[in-house]
Amino acid sequence: MAQSIPAPPAGGPSPPGEGEQPPRPLVRRLHVLAALTRSDLRLRYGRGGWQVVNWLVTPFALVGTFVLLRIILGRGGQEAALSIACAVVPFQIVLLGFDSAMNSVSLREPILLNRRFDRMLLPPSSVMTEGFAFGASFLMFPLAMAYYGVAPTAALLWLPLVVAATFVLAFGVAWPAALLGVWLPTLRPFATQALRILFFAAPGIVALSEVPPEVREWVVFNPLTGLFESFRHVFLYGDAPELWQLVYPAGIGVVLTLVFLPLYRREQRHFAKLVRS
Amino acid sequence: MIAAQHVGIHYLFDRQQRTVSPTTAPLRRSGGETWALSDVSFRIGAGEGVALLGASGSGKSTLLRTIAGVLEPDSGRLQTEGRVGSLLSVQAGVMSLLTGRENTLLLGVLAGMTPRRARAEMAEVKRCSGLGEHYERLVASYSQGMRARLGLAVIERIEPTILLLDEIHEALDHEFRDHVEGYAHELLAAGGIVVATGHDHPMLERLCGRALLLREGRLVADGDFRAVQREYLGARRA
Repeated sequence: MAQSIPAPPAGGPSPPGEGEQPPRPLVRRLHVLAALTRSDLRLRYGRGGWQVVNWLVTPFALVGTFVLLRIILGRGGQEAALSIACAVVPFQIVLLGFDSAMNSVSLREPILLNRRFDRMLLPPSSVMTEGFAFGASFLMFPLAMAYYGVAPTAALLWLPLVVAATFVLAFGVAWPAALLGVWLPTLRPFATQALRILFFAAPGIVALSEVPPEVREWVVFNPLTGLFESFRHVFLYGDAPELWQLVYPAGIGVVLTLVFLPLYRREQRHFAKLVRS
Repeated sequence: MIAAQHVGIHYLFDRQQRTVSPTTAPLRRSGGETWALSDVSFRIGAGEGVALLGASGSGKSTLLRTIAGVLEPDSGRLQTEGRVGSLLSVQAGVMSLLTGRENTLLLGVLAGMTPRRARAEMAEVKRCSGLGEHYERLVASYSQGMRARLGLAVIERIEPTILLLDEIHEALDHEFRDHVEGYAHELLAAGGIVVATGHDHPMLERLCGRALLLREGRLVADGDFRAVQREYLGARRA
């Protein structure tokens, strides 16, 4: 009968510290999560001031590109950059979290093959890493609002819930992404491109109200639609997001977690065998 | 204490000979299977130094990884009591794109230190590793020996009671090799356990009074180092 070594809470028993109590299991996990995230930040974004530059380059470049695209298509419209930022910012955390989670296991191969640690924390640490870029990209909102003369409203109070729904979806996507990266590493570029297609199958470049009604019926099934629109309500329209715009993407994130977290838990014990294949 | 009871490690392959997990194996065309370890049982007590002998591919590294908890047994049971310090791969478990300092923090926390303590140990890790100014540089610029020095210096600070060495100490220069050997002897004298493998048999003999001989994933001999070594070398000549 298969019986495995029971893993310690997060990486092994605490060594004796001088006058230091061993931390509680939850605190240990948080320490490990923070250490993995900190190292991931260095690996993906470098060090010092360049980290912030790296966080900001992609979202600013994407917004600029899409604004240009709208102008070329004669759809420049008012507050175009702000509307697009409302899509690009939440999309970045979902996309980059997915991409980072896909590489999270192979990236840690030297550690994975040398010591036991809590491998359940790898996908969450990827999302936490990209959370820093997500936070930095919020700089676009005050800049765009100031440029277009859009005053902040009480709708900003909805922001914590909107951000929470975004993170729930990003965490949900990270579990299958990590498994995909281990099971089918050659498909990583394709998977990232497939997720990018979801951006264009949602009201990213134009708002939902500008999407033709017959298409609108379909794009609402894309979980990104709710996120993009809820950001627009908070920063652009100045009113409360609709309930479905928060519940639907968060619900998809919860379902993905419920389905893939147990699968990931079962698979992580084989990672040391799989990373080198 | 390390106790293995009928431990087995199973590998499944697809048609392209890539390793697959039991979950994905039914979805791919089978390319066969193998037991890297099969029905391995032993017990190692406090203060014992044990060498793993056997030809390449006999299961020595797999067994060390299983003791370290890197691999989980697919059959049987393996119990370890104590804090494990391991140097099992050529990369010595350090991340190439992090500096020595950043690796110290990461590996220290993964080993159970609080971030505060891991930071406090950095100066000592830098001193013990002998890396000097290289400590602040990316590990990618390190030689294999420098990586091993860093890995060992971190291990020393986590104060393991079980030390696992997989050939990596053979990449070290003579001065640091003596340091590793001295450290392993200190650990044994303090009631710790050392399990090591490699091709430097004189060094293994100095550390280990006992040896396990592995052949095709099976434990075929367990006893006094010299007796097991004779059996291993005798079988090779035959």
